[in-house]
Amino acid sequence: MSIDTEVKVPLASPAAAGGTPSRPRRRSRGRIVVSAVAYLITFVILFPLLWIVLLSFQTNDNILNDPFSLSSLTLANYQQALETLNLLVMYKNTLILAVVSVTVGLVISYMAAFALTRMVFRSGRRRTQNTLRFYFLAGLAIPVYILLFPVYRLDIAFGLFGTYFALILPYIAVTIPFNILLLTGFLRDFPEEIEQAAVMDGVGLWRMAWKVVFPLMRPVIATLAILNVIYVWNEFPFAVTLINDPNMTTVSLGVSQFQGVYSVNYGAMMASATLVLLPQLAIYAAFQKQVIAGMTAGAVR
Amino acid sequence: MNWLTTRRHFTLMVAPALIIYSLYMIYPILYSLYYSFTNFDGVSAGGFAGLDNYRQMGQDDAFWTSMRNTGIILGIALFLLIPLGFLLAILLSGRVKGSGAMRALVFAPAIIAPILVGLIWIFILDPKIGLVNAFLLAIGVPAHPQWIGGPTLSPYSIGFVYLWQQIGFVLTIFYAGLRMLPRDVMEASSLDGASRWQQLRHIQIPMMRETFGIVTALVVTGVFKVFELVYALTGGGPVHLSEVMVSYMYHITFTTQQYGYGMALAVVVFVVGALASAATFLGNRRKGEVR
Repeated sequence: MSIDTEVKVPLASPAAAGGTPSRPRRRSRGRIVVSAVAYLITFVILFPLLWIVLLSFQTNDNILNDPFSLSSLTLANYQQALETLNLLVMYKNTLILAVVSVTVGLVISYMAAFALTRMVFRSGRRRTQNTLRFYFLAGLAIPVYILLFPVYRLDIAFGLFGTYFALILPYIAVTIPFNILLLTGFLRDFPEEIEQAAVMDGVGLWRMAWKVVFPLMRPVIATLAILNVIYVWNEFPFAVTLINDPNMTTVSLGVSQFQGVYSVNYGAMMASATLVLLPQLAIYAAFQKQVIAGMTAGAVR
Repeated sequence: MNWLTTRRHFTLMVAPALIIYSLYMIYPILYSLYYSFTNFDGVSAGGFAGLDNYRQMGQDDAFWTSMRNTGIILGIALFLLIPLGFLLAILLSGRVKGSGAMRALVFAPAIIAPILVGLIWIFILDPKIGLVNAFLLAIGVPAHPQWIGGPTLSPYSIGFVYLWQQIGFVLTIFYAGLRMLPRDVMEASSLDGASRWQQLRHIQIPMMRETFGIVTALVVTGVFKVFELVYALTGGGPVHLSEVMVSYMYHITFTTQQYGYGMALAVVVFVVGALASAATFLGNRRKGEVR
């Protein structure tokens, strides 16, 4: 009942509003204030992003001397950014790293999670599975920064330095614990009847894992894929440690070099930042619901 | 099921993940631990140094500064980020028009690469070209503080940028928690004439204890991962005054190539971070018992 009156009050005629004491009017005024505050805060939070985009169309002189006038519109910054930077190389490298490490990482995480939850030894004991699950989940507590130098040494020892695999292997390793956490959680609740029916039909292990169970796990896999791609896309510590070849530069590593590339041309620097920022925001806008759901699922689980 | 039971099949399924994970996650931890007790210089194993590296930390001012700065960022996260995130969640969970879109917009900074976040904020905080000081100049304030790059303000600025980056994420978790509260309690209380403030104080906040625990745990672990912001905004300077624990460890290891000392710092970062998280979890559990 209270909900109904609250919703109707602002729509009610002045006569009706006069009938009830000042309370509803105060409420609606309160709501205007609350809305205004909410809009203002949202604007303030988004402002830094808008500011970069706005200034990326200004001449360098204008940025330095009169940043608030926003007068001299120009595309020169973008021209210079595209000429100076190897944006395409950066995007290509990051895309290769993301596709390979996320695909391989999810495949092997799924295989391990399947074995840890759905496979039972003849003895019926689950000790091996439980120990291994704990061993994998312990990785959630490991900060990547500890890994940087040892992984650098490993990549040199294996002759991987300077190849994509120098980054792909650690990216896979770092995402395994969380992938296994979520996958084993969902696989444990998976109804056994479907498996049993498939066994009756003579389905083998491999087909069982990939043709019967995997399709039913698609929503979780999609969530993990999005989270893993975001991780690889934004990853910086490994990239800065393990890449020294300009042709191997990733997007985040490229961003860190903008300051050096244009020591004084701030307009071009902002244009470059915009060129990296906008695709990322566009992809976020497209997958916004899944990204938020995935991030919070990760947080709450 | 019996048909799945051979050890060979089980091993084949687990092996790929197990090998990569052991080699790139577990082995490095043991490696760091071992070399933190040596004078490893990157070429030869170096002599066994016992606890020398750890003793060195006691005399290393830059290390203590980095610890203090991590503490400052942690303080900003606990006392500003979490309350503000909660308030914003309350604000955007009401019947404000477009609150769904606003929640999505405010979340955006959390998915932008942290290194790009750092670069963007240079244009706002830089003493010469930054927006804040340009604004102060425009409205006639004579002081132009060195938000970044100066001797004192940098860690606070970094903490503030971290707040900006994370607030949408924190808001979203609080919002999810708010939505899980039973509706009838709120309705009953407003029928009983409880004010919005009373509802917040006596119903919503107490019932959200678990959500507060989750957010605190995430924020505490997140603070120990701040690295790119420092790297982009100040590079740790001037003279290591804005360094955080992780960035200082990175500097010692990769710039000055004192690998043994760097590994000791890595171990300490791990231990301090783990202790802070453990404290958060224990704190949550104790609060839960009082109830």
